Amino acid sequence: MAKTATAGAVSKEKVRKKKEGQFSLVMKRLSKNKVAMAGLVIILLLFLVAILSPWIMPYAYDEMNMAERFASPSLKHLCGTDEMGRDIFSRLLYGARASLSLGFLATIISTILGMIIGSIVGYFGGIVDTVVMRLVDILQAIPGILLAIAISACLGNGFTNTVIALSIGGIPMTVRLLRGSIMGVRKMEYLEAAQTINCSSVRIIIKHILPNSISPIIVSVTMGIGNTILMAASLSYIGLGVQPPTPEWGAMLSAARTYMRDYPHMVLFPGIAIALVVLSLNMLGDGLRDALDPKLKQ
Amino acid sequence: MEKPLIEVKHLKKFFDTPKGTLHAVDDVTFSIGKGKTMGVVGESGCGKSTLGRTIIHLYESTDGQIFFNGEDVTHVGKRKLHELREQMQIIFQDPFASLNPRMTVEETIREPLELSGKYKKNDLMDETQRIMDMVGIDERLRHSYPHELDGGRRQRVGIGRALALNPAFVVCDEPVSALDVSIQAQVLNLLQDLQAQSGVTYMFVTHDLSVVKHISDNICVMYLGQLVETTTSKELFAHPLHPYTKALLSAIPSIDIHNRKKRIILQGEIVSPVEPKPGCRFAARCPYATEKCQEPQQLREVAPGHFVSCCRVEAINS
Amino acid sequence: MAEKQKVPFLEVKDLVVHYTSEGKEIHAVNDVSLTIEKGKTLGLVGETGAGKTTIAKAILRILPEPPAHVDQGQILLEGQNLLELPNTEMQKIRGKRISMIFQDPMTALNPVMRVGEQIAEGIALHEKASKKEAEEKAKHMLEMVGIPGSRYRDYPHQFSGGMKQRVVIAMALACSPDLLLADEPTTALDVTIQAQVLDIIKDLQEKLNTAMVMITHDLGIVAEVCDTVAVVYAGEIVEFGSLEEIFDHPTHPYTLGLFGSLPDINSEVERLSPIAGMPPDPSNLPEGCAFSPRCPYATDACRKKKAALKNIGGTHTCRCSRK
Repeated sequence: MAKTATAGAVSKEKVRKKKEGQFSLVMKRLSKNKVAMAGLVIILLLFLVAILSPWIMPYAYDEMNMAERFASPSLKHLCGTDEMGRDIFSRLLYGARASLSLGFLATIISTILGMIIGSIVGYFGGIVDTVVMRLVDILQAIPGILLAIAISACLGNGFTNTVIALSIGGIPMTVRLLRGSIMGVRKMEYLEAAQTINCSSVRIIIKHILPNSISPIIVSVTMGIGNTILMAASLSYIGLGVQPPTPEWGAMLSAARTYMRDYPHMVLFPGIAIALVVLSLNMLGDGLRDALDPKLKQ
Repeated sequence: MEKPLIEVKHLKKFFDTPKGTLHAVDDVTFSIGKGKTMGVVGESGCGKSTLGRTIIHLYESTDGQIFFNGEDVTHVGKRKLHELREQMQIIFQDPFASLNPRMTVEETIREPLELSGKYKKNDLMDETQRIMDMVGIDERLRHSYPHELDGGRRQRVGIGRALALNPAFVVCDEPVSALDVSIQAQVLNLLQDLQAQSGVTYMFVTHDLSVVKHISDNICVMYLGQLVETTTSKELFAHPLHPYTKALLSAIPSIDIHNRKKRIILQGEIVSPVEPKPGCRFAARCPYATEKCQEPQQLREVAPGHFVSCCRVEAINS
Repeated sequence: MAEKQKVPFLEVKDLVVHYTSEGKEIHAVNDVSLTIEKGKTLGLVGETGAGKTTIAKAILRILPEPPAHVDQGQILLEGQNLLELPNTEMQKIRGKRISMIFQDPMTALNPVMRVGEQIAEGIALHEKASKKEAEEKAKHMLEMVGIPGSRYRDYPHQFSGGMKQRVVIAMALACSPDLLLADEPTTALDVTIQAQVLDIIKDLQEKLNTAMVMITHDLGIVAEVCDTVAVVYAGEIVEFGSLEEIFDHPTHPYTLGLFGSLPDINSEVERLSPIAGMPPDPSNLPEGCAFSPRCPYATDACRKKKAALKNIGGTHTCRCSRK
């Protein structure tokens, strides 16, 4: 059986060694999972592209060239051009900024909020649970996109408002997921043990409950980011959210739908970009969940 | 007589269930002397675990009183509760469920020390090491996770966590019933050694009579929330008086193949402790039951230091 | 048919089973041989992971393959090797001639099926009885284990743990099997209920002349119900003999250790003498005698070479080089 390596040094050093050890243990486990590593590499590359886009894109993202509208992919325009003759490849590169940050930010915010609410509800149960869960039910009864439209319409356009609009819709799912998962560990004796050694409720939630109930959340985050990017696309399609000429993958996709029949390359490339993000995040998410599980051998 | 460390008077713990009120602990009275071990035996659902958890304030008692060192601690404020919990600890039955799977051996044992605020950062390490030595966990297992340990070692970690702050009173809730025989003996010996060293008082909850006989000074026998008999360990095994105790003792499979004892095989099923009728709850299975058993029973001292809750005890044992 | 007397009722010969898990080989059963006579009870004693259950499952051929794999050996039921039977033949034997009681009565019963029907199902299947006959027989079986036949239409959740285990026993014995494999049948039960259940099993066994393999870690139960005893350690039989031979003259250091670990209700011992150390990791068994790392008498020879099972008088055999 695999035993964590031990160091034979003085006690103080060991603390530090161990802290590193735990992180590097997770990384080591993750690095053994080739699929997850591929996902991680793709994500990192995409981020790199997003950051470097102003310098690496062959054309400016808003440079129109009416002479070359709807050009098919060629060496000159790697992914072809759109209805205004803008280079799709450049727009994809630059659009990674808006799409990735929207997707990541909104999902992470909604997950954090959902986790706070979910753990309170799951841990305390009783009347708190009943009241909050009915509110969550109401929120969840409204289709996500309608909710986002409504909030967006109230708050107005712009990046920050779009992030807010998108995050609120994601909260109920996280709450539900975490609550269910916490219910599973709530009866465990180690929580009683934590109580007897005078752990505060906050500490019990953070140290004893969350680490043991978080794995479904990790998976849902990776799925959620892809969804959020698509949702952001729908918002921009109806004139909310991030507005042109700032490119955003979802917006590009929706704009291209009109011309899909004749110029499929216009949908194809933004579609591939979004699929790539979702796929690589899923690959990474699965691997991360396994790597964080101490029960896994080696 | 010396003042007992733990004294429980008419303790009750009821739970509300969809079917009605569950009388998990119903009017239990006993006391445990300093440095002694009180064995609490009974079958599943008899309320023995609930009794232990109620005494150490994991559950709020419904009625009755709990005294710790002569002080009434039945209802205490938050600060007093914190103080009390450092003095009253519990070792759990299931060494899988009672350890956080994401905390290493060291983290689990260190946590109570950290939370007590009594140790400086530098001393924490040494103290953790001392406890690990005390319960016999190898230095090299310091950073292991519970799933990497076998049941016996895991239980040692649980014992270490419970004894970390040197408590005066520890409830041992079936600490060896999930372990193999050879490992069980190791853990029992460890518990006894620790008691000899620190003078800790145990309440040893178990369904295993041979274990309880081995480790206890005094024994309480419980049946469906009620205390049916309590006396010293020797006396109980030599002269069981309550019909349930007799049946329980006779039911233990003995390894003595030449002197087979006569078994008392109980008929009937265990009645539900939800909304029970007044009177002796064992009456439904008791071969000696009469009408009088339907009335509430009193715990009486039938012999010096030997308490039985049965109205027919004289008739049965004469 | 004259030879039949010589053929033991059930004989397990040189059985070797291993599991493959995450690329590691787990040696669960290593060269186990045993015999059981009709109407007798064999106790398989050992700790968790010693391979007791694997032996029983191999006899019934219900080991999940993979990960399990029977490498060698024969399981002869009245001379017929079960391991070579086609699956369809084996299905006729399972439940009809050999049946098994599992440890946990809660998971052995289908929660959404009436208990009576669960018993009747087996009867209808194996005895080609009509629905009516099967129901009659099932009710009869329920009464034999002390449950009124009127509870035929109840669901498992309406029964207590002890009653559920009795239903499981009724199911196992419904077709009057020749061999009953009881895997810790009373471990999940309370002492007084355990006494009831053991009583019923013993009683029915006598009535039906069933051979039984009683798998347990509790020497007390062995003393109560078994005729012969096999002590299993790390997938091997380390000591085998009649009840008297094992309990009066335990010989193997492991058997001695088991007795020393047991707090006995009839004697006063201040301190138990446990076996030092832990059971070995079955994927990484020690060289030589598997018990040698924990054995107080082990010599260098023990650590190098495995001892063979040797006869030490009567039917008593022991796998220890000191004997």
